[in-house]
Amino acid sequence: MSQPIIDSRSISKNYGSFRALTDISLTIRKGEFIALVGPSGCGKTSFLKILAGFEQASSGELFIEDREMSDVPAAARPTRMVFQKLALFPHKTVEENISFPLRIAKVPAAERAERVRGMMDLMHLRHEYLTHYPAQLSGGEQQRVALARALVSRPGVLLLDEPMSALDAKLKKSLQAELKKLHRELGTSFVLVTHDLEEAMMLADRICVMVGGRIVQLGVPLDIYRRPANRFVAGFIGETNFLPVSVASTADGLSVRPLRGDQTAALLGADRVSPEAHGDAGLLLIRPEDGEILSGAPSPGMWTIAGTVDEKFTKGSSTQYRIRTEALDVPFVLESSGFDTAHIPVGAPVSVGFHPAKSYLLGDRP
Amino acid sequence: MRNPLTNRLLDIGLSGWMIALLVFLYIPIVTLAFFSFADSRVLTFPVQGFTLNWYRELFERPDFLPALRTSALVAVATMLVSTVLGTCGAILWMRYRFRFKQALQALTFLPVLFPQLLLGVMLLLWFSVLGTVFDFRLGIPTLIIGHVIYVTPFVMIIVAVQLYGFDDTVEDAARDAGASDWRVLVEITLPMIWPGISAAMIMAFLLSWGNFYLSYSLNGSMRTLPIFIYSGITVGSSPIYPALATLNFIPAMGLVVLADFLRRRALRRDTGAAKEES
Amino acid sequence: MRVLDRSWQDRGVLLNSLPLLTLLTLFFIGPILLTLLLTFQEMRSYQLQWVWSLRVWSEVFSKYSYWVVIGRTVSMAFLSTFLCILIAYPAAYALATRLKNYASHIQILIIFSFLTDAVLKTFGWVLVLDRNGIGNWLLQHLGLGDEALNFLFTPRATLLGVVYNLSVYPLFTIYLSLKRIDRDLILAAYDAGASKWQTFREVTLPLSRPGLYAGAVLVFVLTLGTFLESKVLGGGKSPLAPELIRQTFETRVNWPLGAALTVVLVAIATIVLAVAVRLVQRTRQEQAAKGAEA
Repeated sequence: MSQPIIDSRSISKNYGSFRALTDISLTIRKGEFIALVGPSGCGKTSFLKILAGFEQASSGELFIEDREMSDVPAAARPTRMVFQKLALFPHKTVEENISFPLRIAKVPAAERAERVRGMMDLMHLRHEYLTHYPAQLSGGEQQRVALARALVSRPGVLLLDEPMSALDAKLKKSLQAELKKLHRELGTSFVLVTHDLEEAMMLADRICVMVGGRIVQLGVPLDIYRRPANRFVAGFIGETNFLPVSVASTADGLSVRPLRGDQTAALLGADRVSPEAHGDAGLLLIRPEDGEILSGAPSPGMWTIAGTVDEKFTKGSSTQYRIRTEALDVPFVLESSGFDTAHIPVGAPVSVGFHPAKSYLLGDRP
Repeated sequence: MRNPLTNRLLDIGLSGWMIALLVFLYIPIVTLAFFSFADSRVLTFPVQGFTLNWYRELFERPDFLPALRTSALVAVATMLVSTVLGTCGAILWMRYRFRFKQALQALTFLPVLFPQLLLGVMLLLWFSVLGTVFDFRLGIPTLIIGHVIYVTPFVMIIVAVQLYGFDDTVEDAARDAGASDWRVLVEITLPMIWPGISAAMIMAFLLSWGNFYLSYSLNGSMRTLPIFIYSGITVGSSPIYPALATLNFIPAMGLVVLADFLRRRALRRDTGAAKEES
Repeated sequence: MRVLDRSWQDRGVLLNSLPLLTLLTLFFIGPILLTLLLTFQEMRSYQLQWVWSLRVWSEVFSKYSYWVVIGRTVSMAFLSTFLCILIAYPAAYALATRLKNYASHIQILIIFSFLTDAVLKTFGWVLVLDRNGIGNWLLQHLGLGDEALNFLFTPRATLLGVVYNLSVYPLFTIYLSLKRIDRDLILAAYDAGASKWQTFREVTLPLSRPGLYAGAVLVFVLTLGTFLESKVLGGGKSPLAPELIRQTFETRVNWPLGAALTVVLVAIATIVLAVAVRLVQRTRQEQAAKGAEA
């Protein structure tokens, strides 16, 4: 599991004077599911195309299965790609589509038929679809055919370029679950490009967050969520509250207190402080589910902020409140799953409590 | 919407106009077909009765056969050459952006905008002068060259329309699956743009088959079918010409229907009976 | 299809363009240049002499009769353009907006008639328009006219033939530009309270202008080269410029003069073409500017 399958060494890519990728160094291990996440234009798709061999890096080295790849064309690489728009051959049947890579590799017909049928079973596609044309299938089925075509030649690495961006929410969820299962069963390395950090967190073993052609954070999903590298990464998933605080060094660690309001100072452990945070000011990252609406006295160590409910959204399993407070310029977002707070009306004065010691300190620069 | 009666009248009026135009377009065609069966040596109306004599006469004295052969040869050659050139041009047009592109594009389309007779005259001058220098005469090659110049832009437009909707990530997908450039071209690109190419080929054949203006200047001693008919009718009309015309319609109509059939089949396959999610 | 930026020396660009470029240079640009050169030569006893003189041009500009023919041709071109657009626009509009279920069948019928040999179709009209033809027979039996009309071998018959042979061009260019109009724009105009007529005038017509201009130019320019119709239907009584040109070559065997007349006609076509291109560009710019404001 720990052997590297892809080793990218300070890869850069220029399009004319535009620098699309800067110094991308990333090692992907055999059997790993890694997600490249970032806003559009961050270079994630360029990097995927360099992995696939559709584009050449301007500088840097790329090793796949310990072979240098700069002179290896896409066709000869141990990677297969699932395209954003699927790119199924419209003039070939499902069977011809899936068996295409095998035919190119001169696999005998009998074995081809067997492997295509095996893929159909793996993808839960009915065998009667073999003679259908892609356009006769639904979006989800086309998706599975595209996956089958990419996996049928048993590639070492499967590259997925936002393959689910065109699907509706419900179908997306079920395909995500299937993809995860598929990965576990096959043991192939998956590299998924997506702009949806939530999707990446659901699926990937590790997430590589890219902004402006650089890697800004590489880590396991929970780290990305709980210990984001900076304010941008923190804001990239869900909604987040950033509380401005003053920071002071003490013998026991960093001590923080809100810029506005009179709270007792709280001590933060070393693992609760971003490496980027320095100086005497910072932002405390408080996820919506970390706050609670207090009905009684706050528990020890808790900070409280007074405010009024500005807006309220019922989400079914939980309720989201946006609370206007003195301490923040924007409403404090809070998600509560308790039934006892679900009846609080808009306009009601509330007291919000949270534990500063469980939050995460970021630098105050974006 | 607001006034159902006026809207209804508008619908009928507009549709009626289109139908009337269609009738207008078919007046001479139907008339020719009609007279080819008319039992009278002069082509006047009303007719006495109907007969198949003119078709018999046509086949008993088949002096139109050399013209038919020339027409077929020229049309097939024109079709092949202009399809290759036009497809190259369409790919150039849709896929690349380069310096001088607009100039090249304008140059390629100019022959369509050129009055054909004048194009023919200019080519005639050119070939006559070259002919005295290099010692050749007008004939089938000059006919083919003239037709190709005129037909290629039409091929380009039809193929370019097909290329416009072409998703080239499909080519990437084939390359990713290990296919060489040649196999990508043969297995993926050409089959996918084939509906456009086949329609263009049929169009090219028929444009060359029916061309009068260019042939009129460039034929030399060879006669194509339109030239044969033209020289016939300017001398004096005879019922064998309507019969010849009617025979001419049948394969043309067949080819047009074939082109449409191919187009529809491809369309049906590529868009499919889009299925609901289950 | 994605567009690749390439140098003109790129292998793919050269491979795709060279055959076409060679052919066009040899057999399109070459003949045009030669024609220009020939206008400065002279013909003596049916032999071309490379003498470099302006004699042909002075003859062209001094002979009134040539300009009568050219003037007749240009007015014929204006008239046929006007009539073709008048006929084609409503039909294209109907095809694009009404007859949807039959549109593809109608298209086939139109394409077939378009691709049918022009000589045959023109000959067909002779049979219709003849003094003893179907047209007159119908007119008399419908009680529309007592006397047989002498329509054949008049300039009007030529015009009819030209309009017949060319009205399909604007039909297609207008149809294509109407088809490209986003249906939501029309709905938005209705939604804003515009009547059908207002919507047509303010939205549909301006947006279909490129197709309109393209069709008009095609008809105009192609009419300038018309020969078959005037010869077969017009009976050669009031010849048009192409007939004059053919005659100069065939009967008078005067290549330089024929070349000069050709150049005059092509120059007229080029001017009209240039004006039309300018108009289309201006329409596009206006629409782009309006788009930027919105």
